[in-house]
Amino acid sequence: MGKEKYEESSSDEEVNSSSDVVEASSDEEVESSSDEVEVSSDDVESSEDESSSDNEKVEESDSSEDEVAPRNTVGDIPLVEWHKDEEHIGYDIKGRKIKKQPRKDKLASFIEGADDPKNWRKIYDEYNDEEIELTKDEIKIIQRVISGRTPHAEVNPYEDYVDWFEYEDKGHPLSNAPEPKRRFIPSKWEQKRVANLVRKIRAGLIKVSDQHKEEEHNVYSLWTDDTDSVENKKHGGYVPAPKPKLPGHEEAYNPPVEYIPTAEEINSYELMYEEDRPKFIPRRYLNYRSVPAYDKGVKESFDRCLDQYLCPRTRKKRINIDPESLKPKLPSRKDLRPYPTTCYLEYRGHMGPVNCISVDPSGQWLASGSTDGTARVWEIETGRCLKIWEVGEVARQICWNPSPDRPILAVVLEYDVLLLYSGMGDIDIQTKMKELLHISEPGATEDAGDSKSAATWIQHEKHDGIRMKHFKAVSSIEWHFKGDYFTTVVPSGDSKAILLHQLSKKHSETPFRKLGIPVTAVFHPSKKKFFVATKKFVHVYDLSKVEKIQKLETGVREISSISIHPGGENIIVGSKEGKMCWFDLELSTRPYKTLKVHSKDITRVTFHRTYPLFASASDDCTAYVFHSTVYSDLNQNPLIVPLEILRGHKPEHGRGVLDCKYHPRQPWLFTAGADSIIKLYCH
Amino acid sequence: MEPNGSGSDASRQVQARFVTRLPPPLRVPPASMAVPSHLTRFGLSDIVNLLLKNSDPDHENQPFDFLIDGELVRMQLDEFLIAKGISAEKVLELEYVKAVAPRKQEDPRPHDDWVSAVDGSNSSFILTGCYDTFVRIWKSGDVSECTHVLEGHTGAITSAKFIDIRGVENEQNFHLVTGSKDRLLRLWKCDAAKRRGDPIRVGAYKILAGHTSSVQSVSVNPSREMICSGSWDCSIKLWDVKESEEDGDGTTISLKKRKVNSKTKESVDARLEGAATSTLVGHTQCVSVATWPDPDVLYSASWDHSVRQWDVPSGKETWTMVCGKALNCLDIGGEGSALVAAGGSDPVLRIWDPRKPGSLAPIFQYSSHSSWISACKWHPRSWFHLLSASYDGKVMLWDLRTAWPLAVMESHQDKVLCADWWKDDSVVSGGADSKLCITSGIEIQ
Repeated sequence: MGKEKYEESSSDEEVNSSSDVVEASSDEEVESSSDEVEVSSDDVESSEDESSSDNEKVEESDSSEDEVAPRNTVGDIPLVEWHKDEEHIGYDIKGRKIKKQPRKDKLASFIEGADDPKNWRKIYDEYNDEEIELTKDEIKIIQRVISGRTPHAEVNPYEDYVDWFEYEDKGHPLSNAPEPKRRFIPSKWEQKRVANLVRKIRAGLIKVSDQHKEEEHNVYSLWTDDTDSVENKKHGGYVPAPKPKLPGHEEAYNPPVEYIPTAEEINSYELMYEEDRPKFIPRRYLNYRSVPAYDKGVKESFDRCLDQYLCPRTRKKRINIDPESLKPKLPSRKDLRPYPTTCYLEYRGHMGPVNCISVDPSGQWLASGSTDGTARVWEIETGRCLKIWEVGEVARQICWNPSPDRPILAVVLEYDVLLLYSGMGDIDIQTKMKELLHISEPGATEDAGDSKSAATWIQHEKHDGIRMKHFKAVSSIEWHFKGDYFTTVVPSGDSKAILLHQLSKKHSETPFRKLGIPVTAVFHPSKKKFFVATKKFVHVYDLSKVEKIQKLETGVREISSISIHPGGENIIVGSKEGKMCWFDLELSTRPYKTLKVHSKDITRVTFHRTYPLFASASDDCTAYVFHSTVYSDLNQNPLIVPLEILRGHKPEHGRGVLDCKYHPRQPWLFTAGADSIIKLYCH
Repeated sequence: MEPNGSGSDASRQVQARFVTRLPPPLRVPPASMAVPSHLTRFGLSDIVNLLLKNSDPDHENQPFDFLIDGELVRMQLDEFLIAKGISAEKVLELEYVKAVAPRKQEDPRPHDDWVSAVDGSNSSFILTGCYDTFVRIWKSGDVSECTHVLEGHTGAITSAKFIDIRGVENEQNFHLVTGSKDRLLRLWKCDAAKRRGDPIRVGAYKILAGHTSSVQSVSVNPSREMICSGSWDCSIKLWDVKESEEDGDGTTISLKKRKVNSKTKESVDARLEGAATSTLVGHTQCVSVATWPDPDVLYSASWDHSVRQWDVPSGKETWTMVCGKALNCLDIGGEGSALVAAGGSDPVLRIWDPRKPGSLAPIFQYSSHSSWISACKWHPRSWFHLLSASYDGKVMLWDLRTAWPLAVMESHQDKVLCADWWKDDSVVSGGADSKLCITSGIEIQ
């Protein structure tokens, strides 16, 4: 129905348009009869095969403009202005000037036009400077275009819809409803709105700026790689993914043959260390679909999850310091040989923890005192026990007289000090010692002379020595290097805490004022100086003037033992919390170095007499050996190098190594353990 | 192939020829033969024994040791060739010698205390010093028989030596010297006459006093006229015993008188006391050993870590070598009786060659022991063999031609304090387990 209607309307229009140019067409027909013939012949052809003729015509019309090459070649220039005064209007294809046609005056041209019936069909082509006479067909096309129809009459714009593609539910075609009218008429509301805007603009309510601001184009470099730019680094985020390799690399599914390792190479990978082994071994697959799943995929993603789960969420500021550079520059242990390293000899025989040991000045014998109530003398060379004294009480300290011609041992029992002849001398010495250790009138003179004497000297019959009775328990004993004087310490608060004894006169005195509770006291190895250690301080006395010279602040909780360097200017102090302090008397009254080495109480610190060594023994069953070079140059600080940890003793009732002493001439260390063994560590 | 039984499955073989310097009954035909290369000395020993048995049916199997280019084979043959870089293409010359190994452990001779000194230079008697201050003489034989007990010292004996090593058969008397921790040396003479029953008690005929500390070692010079002693007082003293021996002959009867006197009185008859002819001073610590291998040259080792060579006529040091360890024992022997073997406060037995100029490094170091070495002795006749005793309770036999010990004798239960060769084929050793152990049957050509 609708279709027919359209056809009708189109035919109506044709009629209308044709009627407009009736006069012209009648004229045309006469003149261009030859053309008509041609056209009609065309029409005949077209009637035979419409579609093909259509195509041909379209082709003709397309190519017709191309066929006629423009005579003028000057291009698209304003001809009127440029060539106004010129004789030519341009150049043809060969470069020759195209002369302007002679201008007809207006009157002549009017007359000519009045005479020529086809004049209305002529157009002046300014470009080529010629007049063109339009044909009848061209006029028709122009008329159709003007009237708003398709240029060619053969074109049917409303052809029937041919449903080329059959589909199943044909019953629901697309909507075939005609376009509603409202789509073809201007909107009333739009008009109102525009009018409103116009009114507001006029009233000045809306300002339309004249200047159109030029939009600033953000120009950026498309091709530069900005991963290294400062901006990117500042934000520290973006790291581009690596560019993928071109196909044919070793990780491709079908890599070139040269990437494929041979069986021998694969076997050799097996022999490599885990970290040296290549991560990926190229393999060939026939096609992409036969590539298996990545076998480590699950594990790696699990690891990745684990990493992310465990990774710290904050960015750590890490200072990049080589840990080696933080270590103090110490000489190699090899260069500091000899020092004790290995235990070769053991001295067995004691039945209880060995509390104390002492080596005789020649280095041939070793004396020891034990909880089992015995004091023994051992032969160092063979480990044979040479002599046993049944003292009956726990031997707390033992000390060999440093003078070689006085082989006397001082043994500290609970309240008493025993002075015994060691028996390691020839007959002359033996008789001398017997004289020395003999008290003619036991105790009488002493008691009479000084009623409040701190110690009484009594002849000890059983072991043929001297027994010195103290009023309180004795904690330490130390001989003067000449072997005549010795000191004992009674840990009490009064002035009688430190006693000085003279062996040759059998006389005791208490020259020191009270200073806290002393722990131990030692003589200077060569000068007339005396060191008293209280719980936290070490007091240095001058014996000739009997006055205090220095007071050393250790900073430890409780001093357990001290030892004086053979040079006399350096002291080591061991404490009950496992710390060891090195004092340089000429440097400061504070420790030059504090070494925290042991986990339990330090029981003994000791210097070697000749080698630059010192050692510490502790209840944690270890003994540490240190190297210590003391320079004669005052500007150079002592060099302390830890050398060796000596283990071997077994813990017994929470105690470990109870005493340690160096051999006087060899770089050997004796350690006495709570396991009732004395060990000798040799170099 | 060879009838060794393992030839069939051996993959590789080397051409070898067995040569020897042994007497003819132990010689095999010198033809070369193919030997499986995986054999050790035991397999090679089997081959030689089989070859010997082929020629002599009465041959008794015995172990042999094999030398290639003067080195004892102590691993598989192929490993040895690779280690030494010897071509396996050549015909290998395998020299075989009788294996040195202890074959018999004799009954230990019990003592009352630690045995600290032993001397085996007399072929029929052994001299031992003990910590119970007695010196004992043991007669060789299966029965442990103590023939003499020498009384007099008041300290542990550290060293005891025969001055005469002439056999008993042609000499009526022993002549001995002992050193002790009581700072004295004593000279003894005793009758070697065989007697049943209790051991004879003997007293010293002369006391050599002079050391101020315990005497650590005593040694007799080759002419048997002088002795030297090293002591804890850092000195070496030389004593003349020739004239005292003559004195001693005259005072044999008065000996017993003196002994009686000494019980009542501590002072010693001045006539019986001898003095040192000279003193060599130089060591800074205890002289643990002094030996006198050559009439003019004396060697000493000390705890001051040095070995010193002394020129006896001038009394001067001619050579000093510092080894870094306190030394306990020293012996001169080996090639040309010139090599110095010493051991001390570490488990390494070191051997130096003092003739080598410009170098004080040891030429051999043997470190199979695990504690201090207390004694080392060269074999009296062999240039290659020596023994060492250690506080780890072992006595080891060494051959200079290999780095492994030839034999380890673990007959002691405690420290071994002294050891010596005896009768060329036995090792006597005394230790802290109060035993004198005798290991015999060590055949050294």
